[in-house]
Amino acid sequence: MDTFQVHILAADKTFYEGPCVSLVVPTTDGERGILAHHSSMIAAIQPGTLRYQVPGEEPRLAAISPGMVKVEDNDVLVLVDSAERPEEIDEARAQREIEEAREALLQQRSRQEHQIAQATLARALNRLRVKNMGIGR
Amino acid sequence: MAGTKEIKTRIQSVQETKKITSAMYLIASTKLRRARQELEHTRPYFEALRGEIKSIFRTASDVDSRYFYPVGNDTPREGTYGCLVITADKGLAGSYNQNAIRQAQELLEWHPDTKLFVVGEYGRRFFAQRNIPIERSFLYTAQNPTMARAREISALLLDGFHRGELKEIFVIYTDMESAMSFQARSARVLPFHRTYFDTLDGERVAAEPFEFLPNANSVLDSMIPSYVSGFIYSALIDSFCCEQNARMTAMDSANQNAEELLGELSLRYNRVRQSAITQEITEVSAGARAQRQRKDR
Repeated sequence: MDTFQVHILAADKTFYEGPCVSLVVPTTDGERGILAHHSSMIAAIQPGTLRYQVPGEEPRLAAISPGMVKVEDNDVLVLVDSAERPEEIDEARAQREIEEAREALLQQRSRQEHQIAQATLARALNRLRVKNMGIGR
Repeated sequence: MAGTKEIKTRIQSVQETKKITSAMYLIASTKLRRARQELEHTRPYFEALRGEIKSIFRTASDVDSRYFYPVGNDTPREGTYGCLVITADKGLAGSYNQNAIRQAQELLEWHPDTKLFVVGEYGRRFFAQRNIPIERSFLYTAQNPTMARAREISALLLDGFHRGELKEIFVIYTDMESAMSFQARSARVLPFHRTYFDTLDGERVAAEPFEFLPNANSVLDSMIPSYVSGFIYSALIDSFCCEQNARMTAMDSANQNAEELLGELSLRYNRVRQSAITQEITEVSAGARAQRQRKDR
Protein backbone atom coordinates (compact mmCIF):
# COMPACT_ATOMS: atom_id res chain seq x y z
CA MET A 1 0.00 0.00 0.00
CA ASP A 2 1.15 3.50 -0.77
CA THR A 3 2.30 5.62 2.10
CA PHE A 4 2.53 9.32 2.74
CA GLN A 5 4.47 11.53 5.12
CA VAL A 6 2.62 12.77 8.14
CA HIS A 7 3.64 15.42 10.66
CA ILE A 8 1.53 15.58 13.78
CA LEU A 9 2.56 18.64 15.79
CA ALA A 10 1.12 19.46 19.19
CA ALA A 11 1.70 22.78 20.92
CA ASP A 12 4.14 21.32 23.43
CA LYS A 13 5.88 18.65 21.35
CA THR A 14 6.23 16.95 18.02
CA PHE A 15 3.83 14.03 18.39
CA TYR A 16 4.67 11.90 15.35
CA GLU A 17 6.65 12.40 12.20
CA GLY A 18 7.08 9.73 9.58
CA PRO A 19 5.41 7.47 7.05
CA CYS A 20 1.76 6.62 7.39
CA VAL A 21 -0.72 4.41 5.50
CA SER A 22 -3.97 5.93 6.59
CA LEU A 23 -5.07 8.75 8.80
CA VAL A 24 -8.55 9.48 10.18
CA VAL A 25 -9.24 12.91 11.65
CA PRO A 26 -12.39 14.26 13.29
CA THR A 27 -13.49 17.35 11.35
CA THR A 28 -16.46 19.63 11.71
CA ASP A 29 -18.50 17.49 9.26
CA GLY A 30 -17.59 14.15 10.82
CA GLU A 31 -14.59 11.88 10.50
CA ARG A 32 -12.47 12.17 7.41
CA GLY A 33 -10.10 9.49 6.19
CA ILE A 34 -6.92 10.38 4.35
CA LEU A 35 -4.98 7.92 2.19
CA ALA A 36 -1.95 8.45 -0.02
CA HIS A 37 -2.34 10.90 -2.93
CA HIS A 38 -5.24 12.70 -1.36
CA SER A 39 -6.15 15.97 -3.07
CA SER A 40 -4.98 19.20 -1.49
CA MET A 41 -7.18 20.38 1.29
CA ILE A 42 -7.25 22.28 4.57
CA ALA A 43 -9.82 21.32 7.19
CA ALA A 44 -10.64 22.33 10.73
CA ILE A 45 -10.25 19.61 13.36
CA GLN A 46 -12.71 19.05 16.19
CA PRO A 47 -11.66 17.57 19.51
CA GLY A 48 -11.88 13.82 19.20
CA THR A 49 -9.98 10.71 18.27
CA LEU A 50 -7.22 10.67 15.71
CA ARG A 51 -6.34 7.32 14.12
CA TYR A 52 -3.18 6.74 12.15
CA GLN A 53 -1.53 3.61 10.85
CA VAL A 54 2.21 3.28 10.50
CA PRO A 55 3.17 0.79 7.72
CA GLY A 56 3.20 -2.78 8.99
CA GLU A 57 1.71 -1.94 12.37
CA GLU A 58 -1.63 -1.85 14.10
CA PRO A 59 -3.55 1.43 13.88
CA ARG A 60 -2.74 3.81 16.70
CA LEU A 61 -5.04 6.17 18.54
CA ALA A 62 -4.61 9.63 19.99
CA ALA A 63 -6.85 12.05 21.81
CA ILE A 64 -6.58 15.46 20.16
CA SER A 65 -7.90 18.94 20.77
CA PRO A 66 -8.98 21.47 18.11
CA GLY A 67 -6.67 22.44 15.30
CA MET A 68 -6.32 21.96 11.58
CA VAL A 69 -5.12 19.46 9.02
CA LYS A 70 -3.48 20.26 5.71
CA VAL A 71 -2.89 17.89 2.81
CA GLU A 72 -0.48 18.96 0.10
CA ASP A 73 1.69 16.92 -2.29
CA ASN A 74 1.21 13.66 -0.41
CA ASP A 75 2.36 15.39 2.73
CA VAL A 76 -0.02 15.74 5.66
CA LEU A 77 0.37 18.30 8.41
CA VAL A 78 -1.76 18.01 11.54
CA LEU A 79 -1.60 20.99 13.90
CA VAL A 80 -3.43 20.59 17.20
CA ASP A 81 -3.24 22.17 20.64
CA SER A 82 -2.58 18.84 22.30
CA ALA A 83 -2.26 15.18 21.34
CA GLU A 84 -2.03 12.23 23.74
CA ARG A 85 -1.60 8.49 23.33
CA PRO A 86 -3.93 6.20 25.28
CA GLU A 87 -1.06 5.02 27.49
CA GLU A 88 -0.20 8.62 28.39
CA ILE A 89 -3.70 9.36 29.62
CA ASP A 90 -4.28 9.16 33.33
CA GLU A 91 -7.73 7.66 33.74
CA ALA A 92 -8.17 8.81 37.32
CA ARG A 93 -7.18 12.34 36.42
CA ALA A 94 -9.56 12.48 33.47
CA GLN A 95 -12.35 11.17 35.69
CA ARG A 96 -11.60 13.80 38.28
CA GLU A 97 -11.55 16.54 35.66
CA ILE A 98 -14.94 15.39 34.38
CA GLU A 99 -16.41 15.60 37.84
CA GLU A 100 -14.87 18.99 38.52
CA ALA A 101 -16.09 20.39 35.22
CA ARG A 102 -19.62 19.02 35.78
CA GLU A 103 -19.66 20.64 39.18
CA ALA A 104 -18.46 23.95 37.73
CA LEU A 105 -21.19 23.77 35.08
CA LEU A 106 -23.86 23.32 37.74
CA GLN A 107 -22.82 26.49 39.53
CA GLN A 108 -24.13 29.76 38.20
CA ARG A 109 -20.99 31.43 37.05
CA SER A 110 -19.98 33.96 34.44
CA ARG A 111 -20.41 33.11 30.78
CA GLN A 112 -16.70 32.82 30.26
CA GLU A 113 -16.15 30.40 33.14
CA HIS A 114 -19.05 28.35 31.83
CA GLN A 115 -17.36 28.10 28.43
CA ILE A 116 -14.05 27.10 29.94
CA ALA A 117 -15.74 24.41 32.04
CA GLN A 118 -17.54 23.10 28.96
CA ALA A 119 -14.32 22.90 26.99
CA THR A 120 -12.59 21.13 29.89
CA LEU A 121 -15.43 18.64 30.13
CA ALA A 122 -15.28 17.91 26.40
CA ARG A 123 -11.50 17.39 26.55
CA ALA A 124 -11.69 15.12 29.58
CA LEU A 125 -14.51 12.99 28.13
CA ASN A 126 -12.59 12.64 24.92
CA ARG A 127 -9.45 11.56 26.78
CA LEU A 128 -11.37 8.96 28.71
CA ARG A 129 -12.99 7.62 25.53
CA VAL A 130 -9.65 7.26 23.81
CA LYS A 131 -8.20 5.57 26.87
CA ASN A 132 -10.98 2.99 26.96
CA MET A 133 -10.75 2.36 23.22
CA GLY A 134 -7.03 1.85 23.50
CA ILE A 135 -7.50 -0.79 26.20
CA GLY A 136 -10.48 -2.56 24.64
CA ARG A 137 -8.60 -3.29 21.44
CA MET B 1 38.68 55.58 60.87
CA ALA B 2 36.27 52.80 61.73
CA GLY B 3 37.39 50.20 64.18
CA THR B 4 38.29 46.64 63.26
CA LYS B 5 35.07 45.30 64.67
CA GLU B 6 32.87 47.51 62.48
CA ILE B 7 34.82 46.60 59.37
CA LYS B 8 34.64 42.93 60.23
CA THR B 9 30.82 42.99 60.54
CA ARG B 10 30.63 44.90 57.30
CA ILE B 11 32.75 42.25 55.57
CA GLN B 12 30.52 39.57 56.95
CA SER B 13 27.35 41.22 55.74
CA VAL B 14 28.78 41.72 52.26
CA GLN B 15 29.73 38.06 52.19
CA GLU B 16 26.20 37.03 53.17
CA THR B 17 24.71 39.21 50.44
CA LYS B 18 27.15 37.77 47.95
CA LYS B 19 26.02 34.28 48.86
CA ILE B 20 22.43 35.25 48.07
CA THR B 21 23.26 36.94 44.79
CA SER B 22 25.37 34.06 43.56
CA ALA B 23 22.60 31.59 44.51
CA MET B 24 20.13 33.73 42.57
CA TYR B 25 22.50 33.72 39.64
CA LEU B 26 22.60 29.92 39.62
CA ILE B 27 18.83 29.61 39.98
CA ALA B 28 18.25 32.03 37.13
CA SER B 29 20.63 30.16 34.88
CA THR B 30 18.93 26.78 35.43
CA LYS B 31 15.49 28.32 34.97
CA LEU B 32 16.67 29.96 31.79
CA ARG B 33 17.92 26.66 30.42
CA ARG B 34 14.63 24.92 31.18
CA ALA B 35 12.52 27.68 29.66
CA ARG B 36 14.65 27.68 26.52
CA GLN B 37 14.09 23.96 26.14
CA GLU B 38 10.33 24.47 26.37
CA LEU B 39 10.53 27.17 23.76
CA GLU B 40 12.37 24.80 21.43
CA HIS B 41 9.58 22.23 21.85
CA THR B 42 6.83 24.61 20.82
CA ARG B 43 8.62 26.38 18.05
CA PRO B 44 7.90 23.85 15.25
CA TYR B 45 4.18 23.93 16.00
CA PHE B 46 4.00 27.66 16.16
CA GLU B 47 5.97 28.21 12.98
CA ALA B 48 3.90 25.65 11.08
CA LEU B 49 0.71 27.32 12.28
CA ARG B 50 1.86 30.69 11.07
CA GLY B 51 2.91 29.17 7.78
CA GLU B 52 -0.55 27.69 7.33
CA ILE B 53 -2.33 30.95 7.99
CA LYS B 54 -0.04 32.41 5.36
CA SER B 55 -0.89 29.73 2.86
CA ILE B 56 -4.60 30.21 3.44
CA PHE B 57 -4.02 33.79 2.43
CA ARG B 58 -2.21 32.88 -0.70
CA THR B 59 -4.96 30.65 -1.93
CA ALA B 60 -7.90 32.65 -0.62
CA SER B 61 -6.69 36.22 -0.34
CA ASP B 62 -10.22 37.62 -0.54
CA VAL B 63 -11.32 35.85 2.63
CA ASP B 64 -13.04 38.29 4.93
CA SER B 65 -12.78 37.43 8.59
CA ARG B 66 -13.44 39.35 11.75
CA TYR B 67 -9.84 38.68 12.71
CA PHE B 68 -8.47 40.76 9.84
CA TYR B 69 -8.65 44.31 8.77
CA PRO B 70 -11.06 44.65 5.87
CA VAL B 71 -9.41 44.40 2.46
CA GLY B 72 -7.57 47.59 1.60
CA ASN B 73 -8.29 49.27 4.93
CA ASP B 74 -5.50 49.12 7.47
CA THR B 75 -6.36 52.12 9.61
CA PRO B 76 -6.53 51.37 13.33
CA ARG B 77 -10.03 50.78 14.63
CA GLU B 78 -11.83 53.10 16.98
CA GLY B 79 -12.79 52.00 20.45
CA THR B 80 -11.33 50.28 23.44
CA TYR B 81 -8.08 48.41 23.08
CA GLY B 82 -6.85 45.56 25.20
CA CYS B 83 -3.23 45.30 26.17
CA LEU B 84 -1.47 42.40 27.79
CA VAL B 85 1.64 43.54 29.64
CA ILE B 86 4.08 40.86 30.68
CA THR B 87 6.28 41.71 33.65
CA ALA B 88 8.06 39.64 36.26
CA ASP B 89 6.81 38.70 39.71
CA LYS B 90 10.00 39.96 41.30
CA GLY B 91 12.38 42.80 40.79
CA LEU B 92 16.16 42.47 40.95
CA ALA B 93 16.38 41.97 37.24
CA GLY B 94 18.04 45.14 36.02
CA SER B 95 15.92 47.28 33.75
CA TYR B 96 13.73 44.36 32.60
CA ASN B 97 10.51 45.46 34.29
CA GLN B 98 11.03 49.16 33.66
CA ASN B 99 11.43 48.62 29.94
CA ALA B 100 8.18 46.65 29.64
CA ILE B 101 6.29 49.19 31.73
CA ARG B 102 7.65 52.07 29.72
CA GLN B 103 6.31 50.47 26.55
CA ALA B 104 2.90 50.12 28.21
CA GLN B 105 2.92 53.77 29.24
CA GLU B 106 3.76 54.82 25.70
CA LEU B 107 0.80 52.82 24.44
CA LEU B 108 -1.46 54.38 27.06
CA GLU B 109 -0.36 57.84 25.97
CA TRP B 110 -0.99 57.02 22.34
CA HIS B 111 -4.38 55.49 22.99
CA PRO B 112 -5.74 56.31 26.47
CA ASP B 113 -8.83 54.11 26.05
CA THR B 114 -6.91 50.92 26.74
CA LYS B 115 -7.72 48.16 29.17
CA LEU B 116 -4.69 46.64 30.81
CA PHE B 117 -4.22 42.95 31.44
CA VAL B 118 -1.12 42.50 33.52
CA VAL B 119 0.97 39.41 34.02
CA GLY B 120 3.30 39.49 37.00
CA GLU B 121 3.22 40.98 40.47
CA TYR B 122 5.68 43.76 39.68
CA GLY B 123 3.55 45.29 36.94
CA ARG B 124 0.39 44.95 39.00
CA ARG B 125 1.92 46.83 41.91
CA PHE B 126 3.37 49.48 39.64
CA PHE B 127 0.02 50.32 38.05
CA ALA B 128 -1.88 50.02 41.32
CA GLN B 129 0.44 52.53 42.98
CA ARG B 130 -0.16 55.05 40.23
CA ASN B 131 -3.92 54.49 40.28
CA ILE B 132 -3.96 53.22 36.73
CA PRO B 133 -6.92 50.82 36.52
CA ILE B 134 -6.16 47.23 35.62
CA GLU B 135 -8.81 45.15 33.92
CA ARG B 136 -7.40 41.86 35.10
CA SER B 137 -4.12 40.72 36.49
CA PHE B 138 -2.59 37.29 36.34
CA LEU B 139 -0.23 36.45 39.14
CA TYR B 140 2.42 33.80 39.25
CA THR B 141 2.01 33.12 35.58
CA ALA B 142 5.22 34.83 34.73
CA GLN B 143 6.98 32.48 37.08
CA ASN B 144 5.88 29.31 35.37
CA PRO B 145 4.60 29.77 31.84
CA THR B 146 2.51 26.83 30.70
CA MET B 147 0.33 26.28 27.66
CA ALA B 148 -2.77 25.99 29.87
CA ARG B 149 -2.11 29.43 31.32
CA ALA B 150 -1.58 30.92 27.89
CA ARG B 151 -4.84 29.37 26.76
CA GLU B 152 -6.64 30.87 29.73
CA ILE B 153 -5.29 34.33 28.99
CA SER B 154 -6.02 34.10 25.29
CA ALA B 155 -9.57 32.82 26.00
CA LEU B 156 -10.18 35.90 28.12
CA LEU B 157 -8.79 38.27 25.50
CA LEU B 158 -10.59 36.58 22.62
CA ASP B 159 -13.84 36.64 24.55
CA GLY B 160 -13.54 40.41 24.87
CA PHE B 161 -12.66 40.64 21.21
CA HIS B 162 -15.61 38.53 20.08
CA ARG B 163 -18.06 40.55 22.13
CA GLY B 164 -16.67 43.73 20.60
CA GLU B 165 -15.47 45.13 23.91
CA LEU B 166 -11.88 45.09 22.75
CA LYS B 167 -11.34 46.36 19.23
CA GLU B 168 -7.65 45.63 19.06
CA ILE B 169 -5.40 43.47 21.17
CA PHE B 170 -1.78 44.25 21.91
CA VAL B 171 0.84 42.24 23.72
CA ILE B 172 3.83 43.91 25.37
CA TYR B 173 6.61 41.47 25.97
CA THR B 174 10.37 41.36 26.05
CA ASP B 175 12.03 39.76 23.09
CA MET B 176 15.37 38.05 23.28
CA GLU B 177 17.24 39.21 20.23
CA SER B 178 20.39 37.34 21.05
CA ALA B 179 21.95 35.83 24.15
CA MET B 180 23.17 39.23 25.26
CA SER B 181 20.54 41.75 24.16
CA PHE B 182 16.83 41.94 24.74
CA GLN B 183 14.24 44.53 23.98
CA ALA B 184 10.71 45.30 25.14
CA ARG B 185 8.28 45.21 22.26
CA SER B 186 4.66 45.90 21.76
CA ALA B 187 2.99 43.74 19.13
CA ARG B 188 -0.54 43.81 17.82
CA VAL B 189 -2.10 40.36 17.91
CA LEU B 190 -5.59 41.09 16.68
CA PRO B 191 -6.78 42.07 14.20
CA PHE B 192 -4.14 40.91 11.78
CA HIS B 193 -2.56 42.91 9.08
CA ARG B 194 -2.84 41.15 5.80
CA THR B 195 0.67 42.25 4.95
CA TYR B 196 1.93 40.48 8.07
CA PHE B 197 1.14 37.15 6.50
CA ASP B 198 1.97 38.15 2.93
CA THR B 199 4.22 35.99 0.85
CA LEU B 200 7.85 36.88 1.20
CA ASP B 201 9.96 36.95 -1.91
CA GLY B 202 11.52 33.66 -2.80
CA GLU B 203 9.11 31.68 -0.67
CA ARG B 204 7.41 28.62 -2.07
CA VAL B 205 3.97 29.42 -3.44
CA ALA B 206 1.25 26.78 -3.25
CA ALA B 207 1.09 24.93 -6.55
CA GLU B 208 -2.56 24.01 -6.53
CA PRO B 209 -5.51 25.52 -4.74
CA PHE B 210 -6.66 23.93 -1.52
CA GLU B 211 -10.09 22.66 -0.86
CA PHE B 212 -11.36 24.17 2.38
CA LEU B 213 -13.57 22.05 4.57
CA PRO B 214 -16.16 23.23 5.41
CA ASN B 215 -14.94 26.69 4.28
CA ALA B 216 -11.98 28.99 4.66
CA ASN B 217 -13.64 31.10 7.31
CA SER B 218 -14.40 28.29 9.72
CA VAL B 219 -10.91 26.87 9.26
CA LEU B 220 -9.53 30.27 10.19
CA ASP B 221 -11.94 30.48 13.11
CA SER B 222 -10.56 27.29 14.55
CA MET B 223 -6.94 28.23 13.86
CA ILE B 224 -6.85 31.80 15.13
CA PRO B 225 -7.52 30.96 18.81
CA SER B 226 -4.68 28.45 18.65
CA TYR B 227 -2.51 31.03 16.99
CA VAL B 228 -3.29 33.62 19.64
CA SER B 229 -2.67 31.25 22.53
CA GLY B 230 0.51 30.10 20.81
CA PHE B 231 1.60 33.69 20.40
CA ILE B 232 0.89 34.48 24.02
CA TYR B 233 2.67 31.33 25.15
CA SER B 234 5.78 32.14 23.19
CA ALA B 235 5.62 35.74 24.40
CA LEU B 236 5.40 34.48 27.98
CA ILE B 237 8.35 32.17 27.52
CA ASP B 238 10.34 34.75 25.62
CA SER B 239 9.78 37.23 28.43
CA PHE B 240 10.57 34.60 31.02
CA CYS B 241 13.90 33.86 29.30
CA CYS B 242 14.68 37.57 29.20
CA GLU B 243 13.76 37.99 32.83
CA GLN B 244 16.10 35.20 33.84
CA ASN B 245 18.79 36.53 31.57
CA ALA B 246 18.41 40.05 32.98
CA ARG B 247 18.54 38.64 36.49
CA MET B 248 21.68 36.69 35.64
CA THR B 249 23.35 39.84 34.34
CA ALA B 250 22.22 41.86 37.35
CA MET B 251 23.39 39.19 39.78
CA ASP B 252 26.66 38.79 37.95
CA SER B 253 27.44 42.49 38.33
CA ALA B 254 26.27 42.34 41.94
CA ASN B 255 28.75 39.52 42.50
CA GLN B 256 31.52 41.55 40.90
CA ASN B 257 30.63 44.57 43.01
CA ALA B 258 30.70 42.40 46.11
CA GLU B 259 34.14 41.10 45.17
CA GLU B 260 35.41 44.62 44.71
CA LEU B 261 33.88 45.76 47.96
CA LEU B 262 35.33 42.79 49.81
CA GLY B 263 38.79 43.52 48.45
CA GLU B 264 38.57 47.14 49.49
CA LEU B 265 37.21 46.29 52.92
CA SER B 266 39.81 43.65 53.68
CA LEU B 267 42.54 46.08 52.64
CA ARG B 268 41.09 48.66 54.98
CA TYR B 269 40.72 46.07 57.71
CA ASN B 270 44.37 45.07 57.41
CA ARG B 271 45.46 48.67 57.47
CA VAL B 272 43.46 49.40 60.59
CA ARG B 273 44.74 46.27 62.28
CA GLN B 274 48.33 47.10 61.32
CA SER B 275 48.07 50.64 62.57
CA ALA B 276 46.56 49.37 65.83
CA ILE B 277 49.51 47.00 66.28
CA THR B 278 52.00 49.74 65.43
CA GLN B 279 50.34 52.04 67.88
CA GLU B 280 50.46 49.42 70.60
CA ILE B 281 54.15 48.75 70.01
CA THR B 282 54.87 52.49 70.11
CA GLU B 283 52.97 52.76 73.33
CA VAL B 284 54.75 49.80 74.90
CA SER B 285 58.20 50.98 73.88
CA ALA B 286 57.45 54.56 74.91
CA GLY B 287 56.23 53.28 78.27
CA ALA B 288 59.37 51.17 78.69
CA ARG B 289 61.61 54.07 77.87
CA ALA B 290 59.78 56.30 80.35
CA GLN B 291 60.26 53.63 83.02
CA ARG B 292 63.99 53.32 82.24
CA GLN B 293 64.48 57.08 82.31
CA ARG B 294 62.81 57.28 85.71
CA LYS B 295 65.07 54.48 87.06
CA ASP B 296 68.16 56.22 85.69
CA ARG B 297 67.26 59.42 87.44
